[in-house]
Amino acid sequence: MRNTKKVIAATAAVATLVGLAACGSGSDANANKGNADKAELVFWGWDSGNSMKDIIAKFEKANPGITVKFNNTGTAEKTSTALSNAIAAGNGAPDVVMLEDPTVTQFAVTDGLVDLSEFGADKLADDFAAGPWNKLQYNSKPYALPIDSGPEMFFYNKAVFDKAGVDGESIKTWDDYYEAAKKIRATGSYITNLAGTSGDYQPFTAQIWQAGAQPWKVDGEKITINMTKDEGMQRYIKFVQKLIDEDLVDTKTPNWSDDWNRELNDGTIASLTIGAWMPINLMTGAPDQAGNWRVAQLPQWEEGKEVSAEDGGSALAVVKLSKNQAAAYKFVEYMTHGDGAQTMADTGTFPSLKKILTSDSFTDPTTEANKKTNAYFGGQNVNEVLSEAAQRPTEKFQYLPYNPFAQSAYGDEVSKAYTGEITLEQALQNYGKKLAEQGEQQGYTVTVK
Amino acid sequence: MTQPVGVSPVGVSPEMAGMHTPEARINKHKADWRGWKFMWPFAVVFVFVFIIPIVYAIYISFFKKQMIGGTKFVGLQNYQRLLVDQQFWSSVGRVALFTVVQVPIMLFLAAAMALAIDSMKLHGTKFFRISTFLPYAVPAVVSTLIWGFVYGAKYGLVGSFNDFFGTNVDVLKPSVLLAAIGNINTWEFTGYNMLIFYSSLSTIPHSLYEAASIDGASEWQIVKSIKLPELKGSLAITVIFSIIGSFQLFNEPSILQNMVPGNAITTYYTPNMYAYNLSFSGNQSNYAAALAIVMAVITMAIAYAVQLNSMKEQMK
Amino acid sequence: MSAAASARPAEAELRAREKAARKAEKERQKRIARDEAAERKRSEKAGFANVNNPRRSTLMTILCAIFAVYCLFPFVYLAINATKTQADFTSTFGLGFGRTFALWDNIATVFTYQNGIFGRWLVNTLLYVVVGAGGATLLAIMGGYALAKFRFPGRKAVFAVIIGSISVPGIALAVPQFLLFAKLGLTNTPWAMIIPSLISPFGLYLMWIFSEQAVPTELLEAARVDGASEFRTFWTISLPLLAPGIVTTALFTIVATWNNYFLPLIMLKDADWYPLTIGLNQWKDQASTAGGQAIQNLVITGSLITIIPLVIAFLCLQKYWQSGLAAGAVKE
Repeated sequence: MRNTKKVIAATAAVATLVGLAACGSGSDANANKGNADKAELVFWGWDSGNSMKDIIAKFEKANPGITVKFNNTGTAEKTSTALSNAIAAGNGAPDVVMLEDPTVTQFAVTDGLVDLSEFGADKLADDFAAGPWNKLQYNSKPYALPIDSGPEMFFYNKAVFDKAGVDGESIKTWDDYYEAAKKIRATGSYITNLAGTSGDYQPFTAQIWQAGAQPWKVDGEKITINMTKDEGMQRYIKFVQKLIDEDLVDTKTPNWSDDWNRELNDGTIASLTIGAWMPINLMTGAPDQAGNWRVAQLPQWEEGKEVSAEDGGSALAVVKLSKNQAAAYKFVEYMTHGDGAQTMADTGTFPSLKKILTSDSFTDPTTEANKKTNAYFGGQNVNEVLSEAAQRPTEKFQYLPYNPFAQSAYGDEVSKAYTGEITLEQALQNYGKKLAEQGEQQGYTVTVK
Repeated sequence: MTQPVGVSPVGVSPEMAGMHTPEARINKHKADWRGWKFMWPFAVVFVFVFIIPIVYAIYISFFKKQMIGGTKFVGLQNYQRLLVDQQFWSSVGRVALFTVVQVPIMLFLAAAMALAIDSMKLHGTKFFRISTFLPYAVPAVVSTLIWGFVYGAKYGLVGSFNDFFGTNVDVLKPSVLLAAIGNINTWEFTGYNMLIFYSSLSTIPHSLYEAASIDGASEWQIVKSIKLPELKGSLAITVIFSIIGSFQLFNEPSILQNMVPGNAITTYYTPNMYAYNLSFSGNQSNYAAALAIVMAVITMAIAYAVQLNSMKEQMK
Repeated sequence: MSAAASARPAEAELRAREKAARKAEKERQKRIARDEAAERKRSEKAGFANVNNPRRSTLMTILCAIFAVYCLFPFVYLAINATKTQADFTSTFGLGFGRTFALWDNIATVFTYQNGIFGRWLVNTLLYVVVGAGGATLLAIMGGYALAKFRFPGRKAVFAVIIGSISVPGIALAVPQFLLFAKLGLTNTPWAMIIPSLISPFGLYLMWIFSEQAVPTELLEAARVDGASEFRTFWTISLPLLAPGIVTTALFTIVATWNNYFLPLIMLKDADWYPLTIGLNQWKDQASTAGGQAIQNLVITGSLITIIPLVIAFLCLQKYWQSGLAAGAVKE
């Protein structure tokens, strides 16, 4: 008797949850388009420029039927975690979400996002810089529109470079970079820091991307992993191993740590290859070096080439659970392609819209924002350099559909090469194995080369 | 809407009554339900916040969700995989070591401070009471940031120490990292445990001391024969909670992760971090659920083995 | 009118009596202090310590002071760094002051940054503490009392079930908890924060132990014989006796709610409902976001501000421990 009761109670509890979990998935696509002119939208994202409030106010003014509630969800990682939780729960998801570019594919694969070509977004392809646009395609369809981008740049501290007798402007190839690294090391500083932590994952992908590497290939449900034999990877491995072996890079300081800021601030780290969004981080994180930093194009693997790569960047997507997809797209379009994009650019976001990148106002040194940035960079016209990088061609590159895993596993495996336990080649080999295991766990057919 | 709430008062009591002990049967009185008048609010919320989610976690641990192929029933496969998962067992070993070393040190300090404060022999008792407790009031995020600064071999206090003495101390290198984390935990939770000991000492009636001192007992004898036995009961419970706490180590290592060179803190440094990463970056929440269940069983087994018997006796 | 008139002399009389009583009490306190001092002197000479009024030990004080330094020096770090600008924070020595003293600026900025959202977080946290920790304390008192004073069916299993449940890593429960709350539409509301805060297993245990020790069963029996209901007995007889335990439990639940981090992180997505810990962490993360502004000075100052109310709560509550000693003495 008692046991029966117990079983019933337990079953009831489970049934409640399971029943709850079951509903809320899969619904008619068209039914969720909603009214394009009348909706109450919820928008998740982060707000590095503290500009969302103004932009949303302008959007609401231009679209009187639509209101937007902005929830600052903190970081990119927290936002995507929250989104996958909400999708799993089947409710509580936003209409519009800001995602870091590499995570877009993951949500597209698992059917969490709306294919924006339904609303004609595919026709906007030529209006955006190629780098960010290409990252947001899945099955050749856009699942998000870029709101900011991060062409990889070469930032360097001119004061330290001068001391070492190196002219930053003359570093055109990675070989030049290596020679400079030696001279800078002789002064006690490091040309840069590389620790192999998960914070280094994005610069890593940018650099191998620029090297033309294809460490993984995704073809529908098949994944091929070729972490160390790929030609571009080989090039990269040899180069970085040399830097490690000769103690030319600071392997002890992870990106984004407190020490990192301090070393940028006191000149211990003399340069960074990182996304074009870095100026604001430098200005607030390394204020003592005001006037010393400069920005230049990324060194090339082959002399005379002008290949760029993307590091970071984020995009706006429409969530499939949204009942107001048409209005949500309207907002996405406004923010990324419409007037909102200009306001974003004015408040420090690095644009991916060609017409802004090439506009006079973007590189105009007399605007308030540009004045401040340029002063920190010793009077250099920063946006001119960044704009050029954004318009350079990029190699074809694609993220793994389980990118968050790829990022966290990178720190676990690759850091061992930077502490000298094993070689970079071995570490990457192990990393490739981890990626293959995860792919299999997720139901992909994986081949490891 | 109200359903899970409605489950509990009726749903829990029979379940608990099912675990009758012989003693209850000897008690010939008719079942005395009055206690539930006071117990049910706690029980209702507890079922809602803990029991239902746990049952659900057990349920999903028999499934597997994939990006390709969706969700399917896999029986005990997740548990089998766990048995041979080296990352998992290495993390269990790490927290076990942590528990064996850190918990005794912390509880000793806490008991010593409680006795010292209770002895009224200190100048400024109130000051010591609050200064010992205060670290507990600091959110883990903040305390780890502060200690991270202290530990920094370049810019932190350890760095200044090295500059001054020409040494090369690095408390964040892999071999001593666990101790460095243990120190943060000791700093955070000694006050918490001290307060438990202290408040249990404060329930000792003073007449007992008076009687003892009239009988000529020395202070040390009073500590030994009155105070320490009183601490025994609280000790059992603090040990259990400390074991559970260290087995669930998460905040401190995951916040330190970004400050430690060479990624000495991996994503599977502790079982809880492993579960977190499996669930949130690995898209393997089913496997993470299995891991959680196994961890719960291990933790409980250890807690019972160490202390629960003595506690049961104490609270008959 | 006449009633008021007749009340007046009585009132005056009362006041006079009160005054006299206060005076007498003051004198008594003085006398006690005098006696204590004399007693201390005597015991010093005689070498015999009175347990009620022991000799103070300098050695023990020094030992404890060392421990207190260990406990407090991180606060010194926090306090010093709260006086620095962001620029000074990254460039000057951690335990030394910066080039400019920016404490007041920092405090002002903390409360105005992002349209003064910090104030909102503070209010939210207070709400969660009052309702969540208050509720948790109440549930723990009632539950602990029941466990100590009644032999009800299932009583023996309660603790085993609780220990078993909290042994499950909270991280792994977060997702099921989130799903459950989401289904009931409770995520992103204060309830998502308050309901889980209502459970304090440690508080329950403490109240169990305290009730066992501080509430004599005979007293309850006597009240029952007088025909008082269970709740009345609980309210008028047991609660006052439980004061020190309640204070301890309240402190624990307040701190636990105040510092709760993981669950709200999962449950809340609306910054308007954030508690302080989540808000501060968001500010901290901003420095490590591409294109984000580093505002560590605000994080540090905000942390300092976050701790202050807890210190005040502690100071206010600790006087009840004194009465606790008396309550303990009831049991003979």
